[in-house]
Amino acid sequence: MTTLWTSTAALSLAGLVLAGGPALAGEVLDRIQETGTLTVSTDPAYPPQSSQTPDGSFEGFDIDVATELASRMGADIAFVTPAWEIITAGNWGGRWDVSVGSMTPTAARAEILDFPAIYYYTPASFAVHADSAAESVDDLNGLVIGTCGGCTYEFYLNGNLEIDAQDVPAFEYLVEPGEVRTYETDTNAFDDLRIGDGDRLDAVISALPTIQAAIDAGYPLRVVGEPVFYEPLSVAIDKGDAELAAEVARIIQEMRDDGTLSELSEKWYGVDISTVQ
Amino acid sequence: MSVSDDAAPSPLAGARPFWQTGLGRRLILFAALAAVAFVIDFSASDISRLVMPIVGFGDGTEASIFDRVFLALLIGGFLTLNILAVRLLPFVAQVLVVWAELLLVFLAFFYSFDLDFPYIVERLPILIFTGAFTTLYVSLVSIALASVLAMAGALARLSKSGPAYAVATFYISFFRGTPLLLQVYIIYLGLPQLGLTLDPVPSGIIALTLCYGAYMAEIFRAGIQSIPRGQTEAGLSLGLSRPLIMRKIVLPQAIKVIIPPTGNQFIAMLKDSSLISILGVWELMFLARTQGRAEFKHFEMLITAALIYWAISFVFELIQARIERHYGKSDLGR
Repeated sequence: MTTLWTSTAALSLAGLVLAGGPALAGEVLDRIQETGTLTVSTDPAYPPQSSQTPDGSFEGFDIDVATELASRMGADIAFVTPAWEIITAGNWGGRWDVSVGSMTPTAARAEILDFPAIYYYTPASFAVHADSAAESVDDLNGLVIGTCGGCTYEFYLNGNLEIDAQDVPAFEYLVEPGEVRTYETDTNAFDDLRIGDGDRLDAVISALPTIQAAIDAGYPLRVVGEPVFYEPLSVAIDKGDAELAAEVARIIQEMRDDGTLSELSEKWYGVDISTVQ
Repeated sequence: MSVSDDAAPSPLAGARPFWQTGLGRRLILFAALAAVAFVIDFSASDISRLVMPIVGFGDGTEASIFDRVFLALLIGGFLTLNILAVRLLPFVAQVLVVWAELLLVFLAFFYSFDLDFPYIVERLPILIFTGAFTTLYVSLVSIALASVLAMAGALARLSKSGPAYAVATFYISFFRGTPLLLQVYIIYLGLPQLGLTLDPVPSGIIALTLCYGAYMAEIFRAGIQSIPRGQTEAGLSLGLSRPLIMRKIVLPQAIKVIIPPTGNQFIAMLKDSSLISILGVWELMFLARTQGRAEFKHFEMLITAALIYWAISFVFELIQARIERHYGKSDLGR
């Protein structure tokens, strides 16, 4: 039935690009080698991982890792900027080849995408307004906490974070929020927190480097306590291309072994978070 | 009170209650404006810090009830005098002066956010030459294609053919009945399941075209139906064919009815095209968001984008007025 439908569609849409279903083995890797271009999706909403410069190019840790990945594959790099939910919807259909987008390999996402290589571990921390009285994460119980919707921080607040990867550092659910407010991205929660302590939010949870970037940009925020968990962040590819997965895994391991990842981490975060803390 | 009272004062005019007299109405206007100013509370605001030292009541930084009442009366009085003064001018001058005043207040409001202007200036080129250009390009292509689709939809909707009517009403119902954002997702994520993988810009243009085609089909239908049936019957009795009647008699008149709401749709599409930013198309809204997030300066970029959208819409409002005047030539007597 599927075959019939596909061939009917192929006939009626002759001349158009055909790329339905999961990627075939080696297909994406072949295409990269053939075109000499690695197309990477990035979400430029997250300095210092990825952000856009005034001339339209990109910069950040993810951008540098992706650029190095491309160069070791012998390909040029090109970036596309689909929204997060478009990337995590899977079935990329060859629109881009890999996502170097600080994605946590959760169990649910692993059903849709493949995660060939973890390239760093980011600490997740709580932050409060500078005027807040909170001294430790225990003081955050029962408060209104903001974060991104559908992301690992929301899963953590709701106590259902399942990370599907080896070497995941153990963690505990330390905070019982009074209310969880979710936003399109966690930086939107920062904007609500900056208005004032408790005006809209009492606290936010986000990646420590992102919080630090906001503080550096003049946001009146303060990090509370130690990071509550470390999440492994992985390169993601469309399901089903084992050859590409092996190649990506090999190159990331090589970059870890020769110190490139540590060096880039130092450059963007001031610390080496390329290995388990 | 009725219009005739103004036109020809009756002998009872002197007996009008005070609040219906000129002075009474002005006092009511003053009281209303002062009340609004009191509710907003301008004490300890920028205006207070500017005004209070001049009139000699402290430095204006204190939020006292005296300051609040005083400023409310002052602002109410100022606005009332302003309105009365403006009304002495000819109509066109009244409009221009009030526009200029509102624009000034609007800009002062934005200015009070303490924006980082060098940040805006540095990013203006990409917002205009990439962002606004893409927005315009996508909108123009979409509205052109949507017009064709809408005409087909309207004719099918009016036809006596059952299948044509069914297809048209099904299409119009679905695309008017679901959010455009959802249509953008379905077209971008759904078509690849059928083996058709389109790039973001074509996907976005298809979504905008289908959605606006559905709305505009109804506009076109209403325009065509506004032409009395008698004209078609007259054409038929002269032996003209139906397509010829549609093309030479009905449509030229229907255009006049169709133009204003179509211009309206285009201006709405300029802004709705921001929904395709989720596909990663670098239109104005996408760039405003990503550029603002780079250094946590969201407001700078959002306000800039708002002004650019507004400026483009304004230009199209003027163009629309001109087109309407062109097609409205037969109504000059009105």
